[in-house]
Amino acid sequence: MDLKSRLRQVLPKERPRPELPRPSAPNLRPILGGIERETPWGTCHVVEKAFPLDYIWGGREIRETLSIPSTRGLTHVGLGDLPPLDLSRTLFLDTETTGLAGGTGTYAFLVGTGRFESRGFVVKQFLMRDYNEELALLHCLDGELKETEAIVSFNGKTFDIPLLRTRFAMSRMPFHGVDQHSQVDLLHLARRLWREKLESCSLISLEANILGLTRVHDIPGAEIPQRYFQFLQTGNGLLLQDILEHNVYDIVSMAVLLGVINALGMSTPEECSCPFEAEALGLIYANSGMMESALPFLDRAWSLAEEKEQQIRLLRTAALLHKRGKNYEIAAKLWQRLLAIAEDDLMAYEELAKHYEHRLKDFRAADQVTRRALAVALRKRSPKVPELEHRLQRITKRRGSAS
Amino acid sequence: MSITKFMETLDTDPRFRGNITFRHTIPATPGKYAPIPSFVPQDLKALLEGKGITRLYSHQAQALQAVHKGQDIVVVTPTASGKTLCYNLPVIQALLENEEARALYLFPTKALSQDQVAELMEWSTELGGRIKTYTYDGDTPGDARRAIRSAGSIVVTNPDMLHSGILPHHTKWMRLFENLRYVVIDELHTYRGVFGSHVANVLRRLHRICQFYGSRPQFICTSATIANPAEHGSALLGRPVTVIDDNGAPRGPREVVFYNPPVVNQPLGIRRSALLEARAVAHELIAAKVPTIIFTRSRLNTEVLVTYLRESFRKLGDTGEKIRGYRGGYLPTQRRQIERDLRDGKVLGVVSTNALELGIDIGSLEAVVLTGYPGTIASTWQQIGRAGRSNKASLAVFVANSSPLNQFMVQNPDYFLEKGAEFARINPDNLFILVSHLKCAAFELPFQVGERFGTLDPQEILEYLEEEMVLRRVEDRWYWMSEAYPAVEVSLRSASADNFVIIDTTDGKTTVIGEVDRFSAPMLIHEGAIYIHESQTYHIDLLDWEGQKAYARKVETDYFTDANLAVELKVLDVTEEQVKPYTTLSWGEVMVTAKTHMYKKIKFHTHENVGWGEISLPEMDLHTTAYWFTVPSAGEGGMDRDAIQSALIGAAHVLGNIASLELMCEPGDLGVAAQVKSPFTSAPTVFIYDKYPGGVGFSEQLFSDHRRLMERAYSLVSRCPCPAGCPSCVGPADEVGIKGKEYVLRLLKEVMGDGPQEQAAPSSAQGKA
Repeated sequence: MDLKSRLRQVLPKERPRPELPRPSAPNLRPILGGIERETPWGTCHVVEKAFPLDYIWGGREIRETLSIPSTRGLTHVGLGDLPPLDLSRTLFLDTETTGLAGGTGTYAFLVGTGRFESRGFVVKQFLMRDYNEELALLHCLDGELKETEAIVSFNGKTFDIPLLRTRFAMSRMPFHGVDQHSQVDLLHLARRLWREKLESCSLISLEANILGLTRVHDIPGAEIPQRYFQFLQTGNGLLLQDILEHNVYDIVSMAVLLGVINALGMSTPEECSCPFEAEALGLIYANSGMMESALPFLDRAWSLAEEKEQQIRLLRTAALLHKRGKNYEIAAKLWQRLLAIAEDDLMAYEELAKHYEHRLKDFRAADQVTRRALAVALRKRSPKVPELEHRLQRITKRRGSAS
Repeated sequence: MSITKFMETLDTDPRFRGNITFRHTIPATPGKYAPIPSFVPQDLKALLEGKGITRLYSHQAQALQAVHKGQDIVVVTPTASGKTLCYNLPVIQALLENEEARALYLFPTKALSQDQVAELMEWSTELGGRIKTYTYDGDTPGDARRAIRSAGSIVVTNPDMLHSGILPHHTKWMRLFENLRYVVIDELHTYRGVFGSHVANVLRRLHRICQFYGSRPQFICTSATIANPAEHGSALLGRPVTVIDDNGAPRGPREVVFYNPPVVNQPLGIRRSALLEARAVAHELIAAKVPTIIFTRSRLNTEVLVTYLRESFRKLGDTGEKIRGYRGGYLPTQRRQIERDLRDGKVLGVVSTNALELGIDIGSLEAVVLTGYPGTIASTWQQIGRAGRSNKASLAVFVANSSPLNQFMVQNPDYFLEKGAEFARINPDNLFILVSHLKCAAFELPFQVGERFGTLDPQEILEYLEEEMVLRRVEDRWYWMSEAYPAVEVSLRSASADNFVIIDTTDGKTTVIGEVDRFSAPMLIHEGAIYIHESQTYHIDLLDWEGQKAYARKVETDYFTDANLAVELKVLDVTEEQVKPYTTLSWGEVMVTAKTHMYKKIKFHTHENVGWGEISLPEMDLHTTAYWFTVPSAGEGGMDRDAIQSALIGAAHVLGNIASLELMCEPGDLGVAAQVKSPFTSAPTVFIYDKYPGGVGFSEQLFSDHRRLMERAYSLVSRCPCPAGCPSCVGPADEVGIKGKEYVLRLLKEVMGDGPQEQAAPSSAQGKA
């Protein structure tokens, strides 16, 4: 047996092998538009698309993002000490890759960038028509990065940026300025704001639920690598059309979402019309220690909340905040209110028991609450049982010595 | 003093007295010393002096000289001869001289790396924290990983992690690869066979990545004794190595005892179980307060022996807590605890598989009991070396079992003492292994036309992968064209990358208690199996083959289970063939299909068969290489059909064992099959095959050693004192028939070219023991 037939026999089949001819340098212009760009490192294909500022996407004009007075809202929703974004030097970025596994064998074959310019929101897509065009692609991207102070991405901190870092390292090119650039990862912000409201914070879900958009004929992300490999083998540019379109609209959505998130971050409690968003903002403020900002949002959320589950959550959050602020009386009232709607909430019983025993020294009330807590704990087979038994013993003893 | 006492018991106690076949005292050897070389800087010398080291063993000094000259070295000296100094010293010196310099340490197991890191930390503290050492393995938390990549001067890891975690992400390790000065490979001898062949390819990939970043690290390796350290080292590293093997460390006297359990059934030639004899011996040792390690050949035997020993100490009113088991499949935390208890002396007897064979520091054990021959001479010495590390007198008892290999060893102590260690063999160019790693390599960096992989020109395979559309060639390079991350599909340690977990469901909880590899799963965790863990017996209620989970429940049983593996073999292609008058021998490619059909229930202690059950699990295919030879068919003046049948069974039994001795590989690396009328050769045929996909070169070796193999088998069978076959030669008479031994001898003679014989003379071939 010769080596190749041995290989075929020893090794499991990789996949069926269609014999497909591939034209040497596919001309993509007629299908995808754009131009072939020459660089010192060879060529790659660049498609540019300018959206006028009154272009409507997700029920809003794209300019809404641009017209907001400041990006303080982003800071509020959790970016900490982000310097103010200069949107003309902010690059929206999204890559399409040959896989999700990461590592040095995963390539970003298409890098899309978006930027607000005077003529509108301009999306540039850099495409390698084959592996040997990667250097040129990276070179073009590097040109964009040099004009950039901040990068906005969706899950880019975890995926796109590390992947590009690897690609630049493999090509022995410096990855310009990325460590100095501010990074806004919309996925992280979206999770803070909409975790409770939405089942998923994927871009598709945000488009559907926040922007009210449904994409038609969108290529599922999971199919993209195989589609690109098919293109490599056949040179058929039609195969790429969907991918380029998918990439463009990801970037436009990111631009619109940035505005929506910023606006939300700047809104007052009264402006909030969604109980979950009000709750999320309240929590965000509470977690950064801004109590006086947090409570009005939680109140607002309470007045809008319709689901019992959320009401429970809100009472618990508010009670804990008041406890932290040493407003024990208010906290105790909130725990009682909580028990009125959720009679087996162990935490509420426990907090009340502590309050009665240690602060009010009302051992009778403490005894009563602890007994109820213990009954719940026993029913739930909670690991708290021994602790509660111990508490009850102590209260009984103190009751005895007090009377 | 207690060892002496034990030796007296051995000599006088009627239980043991007659079973000692051989006693040998290895005298103490004095140390050979040399001054610390002048190129070692003053602060390091001071540090050594602080540790009480003012001079070096001669081999340490030689190693330092060779490294200083820029050579890649392999240090081959016994356990506890101060091997670690041979690499720690040059590495630390390099790191002190250049803050940017980096070193990579590879250990075959996690346990070994933990010991090493502890030692390096000590050095680092003494040097004011200038050397940053980190372990990088599956347990390293995510945020620590980032720090290690940029700041770790010494990265301690294992080949598996290098293969699947580091090389495919080499850009994140740029600092390491750009500045890599030394690569340390400890326990080089463990990288042999399939595992070694994989690791050689991982190192080929490492060389490529280093070249990409412009570094050329020097290799410092250590190894237990093997016959061919220079050859093995250079095969593994892909470059010539300097061997340093003149041990300068002193050693205490060592008593080696060979123990052959008595024959309990004369007609069947059955000896008392090695396990039961080992229990008796170990019991005496532990009762005499001698810290003892007992090695067994399988996980099952480990558990059985722990159970037995605990029982026998409980009978004496002891808790049995000082006996512990230790083997692969225990969870890491549990293993760490046992290691600590051993060092602290809370545990006096530890029963282990070969997991403890390597240099994990478990304190100063004084005695070793080997239950059965470990399979190789190197392993035997390695296990013997686990006792008496600290210059004290020590003892090793080898208790033989009934297998031919064991009986050969116990009856030929000269062979053991004179033969020296085995050859470590690898075949990095095994197609299956090579292709897996070429994929990983192409994932890591595109291949350039004309680029070599080690010494090999991979062009043809790359073209094949291109045709299979895994790679894409553009201009003069091949690029990775797949979504897959190829390293996760390749496990360095066994054919299949995935393990089955065993889940304890007793009392409605679900706890993972252990794991087994896919190939062993049908044998160990089929439904109805008794799985033993820490001497607790579990019944396997359900095996979820797809989900790779087995659900177990604690039970009290008086039996354990043993599964039967049925094997079918089909020849695919003949690579080489030799036609002789009475046999045709060949080697080539075969497909082996293995299936477990049934299992036996075996009673504890008496080992009698108390029942059986069926197993219905998928077949497993193995495409590999085999060596085979034909036997003259019935009715050609040779034996009749029944005689041939029994001769084949017996010959397969003895040859399988002799072949592993001849190849000096683990018996488990080979499989044997016999066919009365092979569809391929149309004649009675014996096959010996490689148990790894694609083969690792054993078959070709057996093909060229055919004659010697037959002679050795003949000599073993003819010299066996049993009258008509026993487990130690051709197998018990009830399996091969009453004339089985005679037929096997006839078969071997015929194949050796003496032709069909009128009458073999078993009586003349007997008697010598």
